[in-house]
Amino acid sequence: MAIDTDVIRHLSEAQVSVELQTEDMTLNIGPQHPSTHGVLRLVAQIDGERAHDVQPVIGYMHRGYEKLSEVRTYPQITTIVNRIDWVSGYANEIPFIVAAEKLMELEVPPRAQYIRLVLTEMARISSHLIFMASYPLELGAATPLFFALRERERVLDLLESVTGGRFHPNFNRIGGVKPVAGAGSTQKKVGQDLPVDFLPETMDAMDRVSKVCDELEDLVAGNEIILARTRGVGVFPIEVAASYGLSGPNLRASGAAFDLRKIENYLPYDDFEFNVITGTNGDCWDRWHCRLQEIRESAKIIQQAIDGIPSGDLQAKVPKVIKVPAGETYVRAENPKGEMGYYLVSDGKDGPYRLKIRSASFSNLSILPWALEGVLVPDIIAIMGSLDFVLGDVDR
Amino acid sequence: MIPEFIVDFFSNFWVSLAGKLLLVALAIPLIGMALGFAEIKLSAKMQARVGPYFAGGRWGWAQLIADGIKFFQKEDIIPIAADRPVFKAAPMLVLVSTVALLVVIPFGPGLIFQDLSVGVFYALAISSLSTIGILMAGWSSGNKYSLIGGLRAAGQLIAYELPLVLAVVGSVIMAGTMSMSGIVEAQIEAGFPYVIFQFVGFGIFIVASLAELTRIPFDMPIAESELVMGYLTEYSGFRFLFFFLAEFANMFTLSAIAVTLFLGGYWLPGIPESLVELAGPFIVLGKVFLLAFVMIWFRWTFPRFREDQLQTLAWKWLIPIALVNIAATAFFKVML
Amino acid sequence: MSSSPSETDAAVENETQAQSHPLQGYAGAVAEAVGGTAGIQFDTIKIKIPNDTWVDAHITARDEFGLVHFSWLSAIDWSNEVEVGDALSDEVEERLELLTTVGDISEGRRVTFSTDLDHATPVIPTLIDVYAGANWHEREAHEMFGIDFLGHPNLAHLYLPDGFLGHPLRKSFPLLTREVKPWPGKVDVEAMPEKATAEEPSTENPEA
Repeated sequence: MAIDTDVIRHLSEAQVSVELQTEDMTLNIGPQHPSTHGVLRLVAQIDGERAHDVQPVIGYMHRGYEKLSEVRTYPQITTIVNRIDWVSGYANEIPFIVAAEKLMELEVPPRAQYIRLVLTEMARISSHLIFMASYPLELGAATPLFFALRERERVLDLLESVTGGRFHPNFNRIGGVKPVAGAGSTQKKVGQDLPVDFLPETMDAMDRVSKVCDELEDLVAGNEIILARTRGVGVFPIEVAASYGLSGPNLRASGAAFDLRKIENYLPYDDFEFNVITGTNGDCWDRWHCRLQEIRESAKIIQQAIDGIPSGDLQAKVPKVIKVPAGETYVRAENPKGEMGYYLVSDGKDGPYRLKIRSASFSNLSILPWALEGVLVPDIIAIMGSLDFVLGDVDR
Repeated sequence: MIPEFIVDFFSNFWVSLAGKLLLVALAIPLIGMALGFAEIKLSAKMQARVGPYFAGGRWGWAQLIADGIKFFQKEDIIPIAADRPVFKAAPMLVLVSTVALLVVIPFGPGLIFQDLSVGVFYALAISSLSTIGILMAGWSSGNKYSLIGGLRAAGQLIAYELPLVLAVVGSVIMAGTMSMSGIVEAQIEAGFPYVIFQFVGFGIFIVASLAELTRIPFDMPIAESELVMGYLTEYSGFRFLFFFLAEFANMFTLSAIAVTLFLGGYWLPGIPESLVELAGPFIVLGKVFLLAFVMIWFRWTFPRFREDQLQTLAWKWLIPIALVNIAATAFFKVML
Repeated sequence: MSSSPSETDAAVENETQAQSHPLQGYAGAVAEAVGGTAGIQFDTIKIKIPNDTWVDAHITARDEFGLVHFSWLSAIDWSNEVEVGDALSDEVEERLELLTTVGDISEGRRVTFSTDLDHATPVIPTLIDVYAGANWHEREAHEMFGIDFLGHPNLAHLYLPDGFLGHPLRKSFPLLTREVKPWPGKVDVEAMPEKATAEEPSTENPEA
């Protein structure tokens, strides 16, 4: 079969013009690209090395969660919700469960709350370590990847030992956490608690995580080339960042001391001492540094939590079929990527009437057309990487 | 000891030419594989992992042989929109320029493929041929990413030719000759390797050769996380193998030039005359691997420069410093 | 907001009366300034605003109360006949309720504004000049609910392919896989094989 080369040439969009034209080149960065964190497509007009009018095209990973949640019961929704930001799986379930519990006016036992907190902070460490691994890789430094992922494997192993899943734990239940099958018989249903070694091994793992933060700081923070590539690149003033809805380390790097762990009371963070990390300039280096410091703070929180963990039940008493009374509420939490919230509209049935999922990366990504105006192509990669988004979070 | 007729046989111009060609042809894959193996094992050590483990016992020495065979038996894919003759010629050009450089490296007293009286000039001129090969690769691939990579390569390689050339002028002035073996002999006579006085030139030469090799921190043309593989994107199979081998062989040859011009070539201070002929090649190889180790170390430690930072480094820093170095060397040579 | 879970629950019980909620004063002040009615449900301040003062209310909120952080914008489709999920227990007036949540970045207060739009042809001015982040949220609301935002420069599809017809999050839009077969679990279950139904499954842990 003869191939019509003209057709293929047109379809492949790889036109190399024969005459000397000086119009801008339209470059598609993505959807398959080593640096777009998933299937993101940026359509950029490039003049030499300078880009302008960069339009993100998203929706390649749209799975329709908001529509799906209208035909699911509350326990079923937790299984799909932790796939939104798949890097920090556990943290996605928390605001949803808290919203449902709020409408039911349910009191969660303190031990369950502490376990939720420990696992959320471990999810935060896991997510930030992936950032520590992949961001220098996008700038060209291949070695921090291995250091960061080594410790992340340890954290994920611990998560798996207690929840059974590395990325999608599905460990929360309305009213608490799942009563765990500990070491030993798996047939006993009630009253089993965390695995025997979980708490001491987590303490040990947190020491190692702090150590790897020191290693990463040595390797990356003072490196002249990293500083040249990230200092002053992608500066977001606070007003612009807030107007676009940036949250999490992206907003804190611009100078706003806005940490939802201190503001909202969805988990008992007030029992612990930790700092809110802010940056000064709001450039890529500040965002990197904020996340590094946050890993250390999370390790501190986990160690304090394990020291003071109360004993007790793992789940409050809930009926077999959970019906949440009518009402509306918006619960937001500090996800590793930023502010994640659920606006739950319930009608008294066993599933929500409407669940609006406010995902952090969606708003974080929306600043890209503004941020990438007139920057060089390598800086596109640097700025995009520093936002630390995940396409599942963007597209839901 | 050696029978008369064998010596006569090998003194025949055509036979010795054939022998030299054979040696060079064998050397390139072997050097490429040796340095490639060094790279994968060293990078693994630096990253707290083991590296190739299964091919060839527990050392993985056969990994690159296996990779080479794998590349050879792959389908030859040429994109529809590519310019076929240019696309095919580009890797050849890069490999040829590397091979041609081997000709003037002295491995021992008299152990040089061809002792040209303008060896340095020849070496620098031939090494710039690879620039054209890279540009051809970027342009002919018919792919926007390759085009960007090729254009970046054009800017970068041309910019860093100048520091490369200027850096060696200092050594040439000190030796008083442009012949490569002549420079080594001048260092032997002086009793010290030129790097002691030409440390600036040496530094600039190493930086510029990293840029000529498009290795990190200067790998904007490839820029794996931005341009997929830059000008190499559309190359697969044995064409990619040529580029891959050419990169490592080029690393060898540029390091060998540095060793010859700055580090004393095949000579070590304190080595007796009789041993030099036998040990010369090994000394050269040892010094070259030392420099290659430094280059590998840099690659896995640093991220990459942005294009404008790269150009600033070349034009605003390296070239003026190299010029000052030449002036100072000439001044001291005349005065002392 | 440093209350332990039991204190929060006690406060929650009073909330629907909204008498002694700590946010009551703040909610009242914001509602008065923007010209709407406030309600507090389960720690969420919700202020209802008429359509014509939608943009001005947000400008007031941003400038006078420091609510500079744009959290999200979306809608709820209140319909009596639904294609997916369960219908509402009580009859409601059919409308689209447009919601935005904005907050401040110093003390962390947040307010949800809501307005009612016509169910068949929902139209409202855009918030893009007030909050830059509204751009993508409004695009999403447009493609999911069919809301027309006047003055928005680019209401192209955000998530859905270009040729997609319909507005998925409306209650009248069916989930197509549900049309083909009901809830997956019900059709996939096969009869148990003969042997297993004859005896009780063992509850002994084989490794115990």
